[in-house]
Amino acid sequence: MWAEVQRHLQEFSSPVLTGVDGDGYPISIRCAPELDETQHVLRVSLPGWTGIRPGPASLLCHGHNQLLWDLHSFMVRGTLTPTGGESWQFRPTRFVPGIGSDGLAGMVRFALAKRRAARRYLQRRGLARPRIDWMQLKALQARARQSSAPPPQPPE
Amino acid sequence: MALPIPAEVEAVFREFRTCEFSTLAADGTPITWPMLPFFRPSTGQFMTTTSIGLPDKAFNIRRHPRVSLLFSDPTGSGLSEPPAVLVQGDAVAPDEIKTSIGGFEDEIMLVYRRQPAGAMYTSNPATRWFSDWYFMRLEITVTPRRILWWEHGDVFSPPKVVEAIHVG
Repeated sequence: MWAEVQRHLQEFSSPVLTGVDGDGYPISIRCAPELDETQHVLRVSLPGWTGIRPGPASLLCHGHNQLLWDLHSFMVRGTLTPTGGESWQFRPTRFVPGIGSDGLAGMVRFALAKRRAARRYLQRRGLARPRIDWMQLKALQARARQSSAPPPQPPE
Repeated sequence: MALPIPAEVEAVFREFRTCEFSTLAADGTPITWPMLPFFRPSTGQFMTTTSIGLPDKAFNIRRHPRVSLLFSDPTGSGLSEPPAVLVQGDAVAPDEIKTSIGGFEDEIMLVYRRQPAGAMYTSNPATRWFSDWYFMRLEITVTPRRILWWEHGDVFSPPKVVEAIHVG
């Protein structure tokens, strides 16, 4: 699992670390983890204002292009422990692949797994698989194409 | 109801393509995935959806309604040096599967404008078979309780905070 974390993490410079704050709400922050190859942990710096608690946490890496495509993501579950001051360690416990993290084969596996998950969701409720109104969606796509402005650009 | 937030924060809610959406798993682990958020200025709430092929977010919310949305990736938004924004709030995710575009027309149009390549999922019978689960959706509504933001995304400086917002 550590090898997977190593391999995938190097493609991302600022993953999102999420813990739980003192009120019991999730709290997320971009961070710059350093890999500790001997301990198999990630070392992160977290500002004091977060009020983040030691305990279960996760690390998300994701990205998309300007047109919300070329999607890729993965998540790592783990535990967060303070090591002094603003320094913490995140110990990975489980790698969870997301979309686009293993090429076309990964995409196919992802879609088939979610198709099966949807079937289970319906079966447990005694529901038939709903039919999607594809023509209605195609009509909306055509309207969206007609009304699309060029993609926004940041000001100079 | 308008939220007591500056225009640049509302612009982030309106223009960011994705947010990092966190729910709490049964064992208390915060689970975060990217989502497409839709801000509803009239109520001050956020709407998002998840497929029944990815129902864990909804299951988590039904057990623990506490969630957060981090807006930290401005890619595609057209905004220059926007603030990073964290919304913490309470969510509901009713067990009602939506397959009709009724009531979501504006949001679906917005997605197709922002993600034109998404049309491939409906382009032929094979892709439709492969992806029909994606269009079976559960609606999630988030009522904000606290909003934190950082100018220019500098999260190591103390955030500006709006607490205990009563919206919805």
